[in-house]
Amino acid sequence: MLITIGLPAAGSAQNRWARQVHDELQRALNVVHAHGGDRPLLDKEGTLNQEESASFTITLREGVSYSIFGVCDEDCSRLRLVLATLANSELALDRTSEGFPVLQFTPRVTAEYRIRVAMEECRLNPCWYAAGVIPSSGAKP
Amino acid sequence: MAPLRVWIAVAVGGCALIALAYLPPRGAAPRGPRFATYSPEPTAARRRAQAVAKEWRETDASLRLLEDRQHVKWDSSRVGPAIIFRGPTLPPTAVRTVEAVADSMWRALGLGETKVRAALVIALERAPGSAPGPIPDQNGVAFLTPDSTDRTTCMAFLPANHFWTAVLLGHPPRHFEPDWLARWFQSGLGPCAYYAAYGTPSRSVRSWLAARNWDVALYLGTHGIAGERFLSVNLLGDPRYSWYWDGIYSLSPSTVACLAGRLDGCRSAVLYGADDDARIAVPEIVRLEQGWWRKQHLLPGERFLGDVARDVGRDRFQSFWTSSLPVDTALAAALRQPVGEWTKQWERRFIQPIRLGAAAPLGATLLALLLAAVAVSAVALAASRRQVR
Repeated sequence: MLITIGLPAAGSAQNRWARQVHDELQRALNVVHAHGGDRPLLDKEGTLNQEESASFTITLREGVSYSIFGVCDEDCSRLRLVLATLANSELALDRTSEGFPVLQFTPRVTAEYRIRVAMEECRLNPCWYAAGVIPSSGAKP
Repeated sequence: MAPLRVWIAVAVGGCALIALAYLPPRGAAPRGPRFATYSPEPTAARRRAQAVAKEWRETDASLRLLEDRQHVKWDSSRVGPAIIFRGPTLPPTAVRTVEAVADSMWRALGLGETKVRAALVIALERAPGSAPGPIPDQNGVAFLTPDSTDRTTCMAFLPANHFWTAVLLGHPPRHFEPDWLARWFQSGLGPCAYYAAYGTPSRSVRSWLAARNWDVALYLGTHGIAGERFLSVNLLGDPRYSWYWDGIYSLSPSTVACLAGRLDGCRSAVLYGADDDARIAVPEIVRLEQGWWRKQHLLPGERFLGDVARDVGRDRFQSFWTSSLPVDTALAAALRQPVGEWTKQWERRFIQPIRLGAAAPLGATLLALLLAAVAVSAVALAASRRQVR
């Protein structure tokens, strides 16, 4: 049985696209959590038009493995997730998953990193997206 | 006789050239208006005061729309646009009636839950002096389109004149028909209806529409903007009267050429602004001033994209709406034919091709021919007398 972690419940004021991405991200985080992952460090939800992007900064600890997820609504066919330093040097990006990018990353140093979510294809703008970061199994304290 | 023939040919050719150069175009009034009213030219100070007042009203209207956007209350039990009233308080029953009409109109447009939600701000007519401070803008229709600070809300400002205020307050005139209110709401949604139906357009489409003040996307409905067959093109009047032609020739050359059924003109009229990389202001406020139809680049442009959408179907229109290709390419791909050709056929649904070019009145033509004949005869007579035998 999956448990609900991290994210607040989708409110009734949200529309179906917001609920969709909220539920999908919740499911992804639950899966990682069920396999021994920790609580999510970051979860963001929002809207982007095609060719727009949003960035967040997060502190990641040295030696800890992190799973970084992105999900988007039914009208989105390509969401790009990029992990970079604050100086915008790209460290990891998902090139394969179209609407559900996932990154696995273990930092060598504890520092602030930037996560960029780019809406590359959205059939009906804006598209809802959600991004989450969770320490994966085998994480060192 | 050979030199005489040359003289005659030169004289006739000269007359033709002068006629082409100086005859007024078809329908143009030969004189100034007979019943024109002349108002004294305002002083520089008055013009300046009017300009400042206009700027104040526009800024005030923009700020009010931005404030309203922050405070819209979305009712999850309704599908239609949120309704915000300004001015006198409406009784609850009147509010419920208005919301029910708005919901029906929304469904009639084929809309339900939409990514971009619309809110109609209806400003009821206020008596002068009923509120402190200057009177805000109560005439111009305006729209606040979604932007990066709020990608999911489109606001439409709809001023209610004396007639509509009475209707909304529950005192409609005797001849009032039930569907008039829904039509008024539908035309008041303007670009917000497109945002609701097709989402936010791509940058190239949005830039094109911004450059021409959204004149081709003001009405999504199946009928005319204020009734079954009422279109902006009807406002030109009757071709038998000179004001019709005054109206025609106040339009841009490509608009007139399209009315005359010329392919290039239709293409230029549709693609006006498509080549510019127009800056999209944030917030983007689209204003429709009184007499907006006189500034259209295509007649009846207000329904152009609505008709395109109906003709090509939802999927093809959606591809055009969000395409990052140049507008002419994306639109031609959606139409599956050149833009000018489709537009020329579309124009024929509303107006017969007008005839352009010089048009001489019958009396003036006869007089000119008579004068030309006299001139030619005089020249011929003079030439024959000067011949050396």
